[in-house]
Amino acid sequence: MVNYIIRRLLLVPLLLFGVTILIFGMLQFLTPVERSALYVREIPKNERQIEGIILKYGLDKPLYVQYWRWLVGTTDQVTGERNGGILFGDFGWSRTGGQPVATLIKNRFPNTLDLTLWAVGPVILVGIWLGVQAAVHHNGFADQAGRIFSIVGTSFPTFVFGLLMLMIFYANLQWFPPGRLSTEASIVVNSESFKTYTSLLTIDSLLNGRFDIFIDTLRHMILPILTLSYISWATFLRVTRSSMLETLRQDYVTTARAKGLPERDVIYKHARPNAMISVITLAGFTVVGLMGGVVITETVFDYPGIGKAAAEAAGQLDVVTVLGFALFNGLILIVANVVVDILYAFVDPRVRLS
Amino acid sequence: MQNLLLDVKGLETQFKTPDGVVHAVNGVSFGLKESETVGVVGESGCGKSVTMLSVLGLIPSPPGKVVAGQAFFFGQDLLKMSNEEIRHVRGAQIGMVFQDPMTSLNPVLTIGRQLEEPLMLHIGMTRNQARERAAELLGMVGIPNAKDRLNDYPHQYSGGMSQRVMIAMALSCSPQILIADEPTTALDVTIQAQIVDLVKRLRDELGMAVIWITHDLGVVAGFAERVMVMYGGYIIEESPVNLLYGNPQHPYTIGLLGSLPRVDERKHEKLYSIEGAPPILYQKPKACPFAPRCKWAMDRCWKENPMLEVVEPEHRVACWVDTKTGRSRA
Repeated sequence: MVNYIIRRLLLVPLLLFGVTILIFGMLQFLTPVERSALYVREIPKNERQIEGIILKYGLDKPLYVQYWRWLVGTTDQVTGERNGGILFGDFGWSRTGGQPVATLIKNRFPNTLDLTLWAVGPVILVGIWLGVQAAVHHNGFADQAGRIFSIVGTSFPTFVFGLLMLMIFYANLQWFPPGRLSTEASIVVNSESFKTYTSLLTIDSLLNGRFDIFIDTLRHMILPILTLSYISWATFLRVTRSSMLETLRQDYVTTARAKGLPERDVIYKHARPNAMISVITLAGFTVVGLMGGVVITETVFDYPGIGKAAAEAAGQLDVVTVLGFALFNGLILIVANVVVDILYAFVDPRVRLS
Repeated sequence: MQNLLLDVKGLETQFKTPDGVVHAVNGVSFGLKESETVGVVGESGCGKSVTMLSVLGLIPSPPGKVVAGQAFFFGQDLLKMSNEEIRHVRGAQIGMVFQDPMTSLNPVLTIGRQLEEPLMLHIGMTRNQARERAAELLGMVGIPNAKDRLNDYPHQYSGGMSQRVMIAMALSCSPQILIADEPTTALDVTIQAQIVDLVKRLRDELGMAVIWITHDLGVVAGFAERVMVMYGGYIIEESPVNLLYGNPQHPYTIGLLGSLPRVDERKHEKLYSIEGAPPILYQKPKACPFAPRCKWAMDRCWKENPMLEVVEPEHRVACWVDTKTGRSRA
């Protein structure tokens, strides 16, 4: 087990290397002038300065020199100041964000994480439960209802669904506002007395004992959460259901029944753990899929996360920012995959012990 | 007649499929005496397994359904029991072993855990007691280092060992009946013999009755006291084992016996086989279901389905033809 986990973790640097090569390759489509944005901390004042940067950082040098500089950055001979270097978390300057890409991510990501956790948590817990119920009561009412929901869910584009939500609950009913916080709440949050623990507003507001802020946050998040997660609901339900149906047909389920186990134990102790194996794969994909979904969802609901920032950057051809996000997304994807692999090992002894 | 341990009468089981209702078991009646070993023989799709699964209420429903019949076990009809009632029979009084040991054990649970379950459930052992007993059981079926191997998972066991585990599990609560559903089919030949010997030994030690489902008449010969041959969801011949091999009556039985490879057979001779495949019955047959494959078939065989008739003491056959003479019986 420990061996297995170590082997998986050793893969991470390798995968990251692959991602950097890909993104570096894309960067080469830019002119040296555009690429100089990777190495500045503020907007250059004139073209001379840009030329200076190109020379200074060797943007006209061979690729491997550039790649290495891109990874570790350069150190100023005189001041000893380091510039650039994605390994040190310096992704360059975001023109659209008006700040370094890394700072932009640091400021925006907690909002996205907050949203994603609320979107994915209930999906995994309740979605699995519903899927199992649908399989156990195969062709029953819950199963049919779930099937209709799944078909509608998977065939509805996110942006259409998001706009519908916006139209109904914001414009017509005025139940839920877009954005991140109401004005009153953001005054509180930005004040000195509001302590930041996790940067996740839902958790911090509770830790600060401000239940009103928590509710305010949730009210702003409900529509994005629904929009972001409805496809996941549908797929989770479907995959859990079919995986469970498949498992219930297995010989060992008959064995469990032949042993005289009560149906409850047959389903929850014998069948479900096996059905979970394919659901875990899906959970990994879902996290990755949600990272894509946030771009649309955050844009539709004017929610200040990395998705919206990435969309803005893409809209203005701010390639450095977009690639910074791509790199960050790649990192999340890799982490999610490693987590899934480790979860596999927990659930399936055949993976753990081989 | 001696008191029967299991007395099945007129069992009928059907499956709903998109193509229609399949009549898998069509009025099967048989008895099982205490400590008796009965072989149930027939090709795949003859209703052997379905018959036994029906008795234990293990037919997946839907699509399967037991539509008629009774199965008395200690004076109670198993087919009328609620799920909760029959649960206490399964695993406790009637143990069952399945065809493919590699898929019959749960891959994510340890062997120990799977062996402990029935002990805790039916006998009310604590986990520790069950663990100890599980190790004994593994030892009983011939698995070395039983105590350590309890922590293993099924994929760490070979097919033969897995089948031993299945047998240990089925016998863990000292059942009166062991139903073995083609327990050697998925194993290679040397292992088959070991499994047969193991069950034989355990039967003699523990004294339970055994129903051994197989399509291999050779396996049954040295093992069972009585044989039932099934075809198309019917029992078509039933007799003590020596009579069946010495004096087979039904064309199907004769065919089955003829298709056994023999050691003293002349070389280069093609092994005999019965042409065709068993029918899938969408209706209760009005003719003999074997007629299309039978070289003795007469007019009557196409018009009436024969019922089991006594041809000599303890020997019953369902066939219109006297295969000795090729002429109609009676």
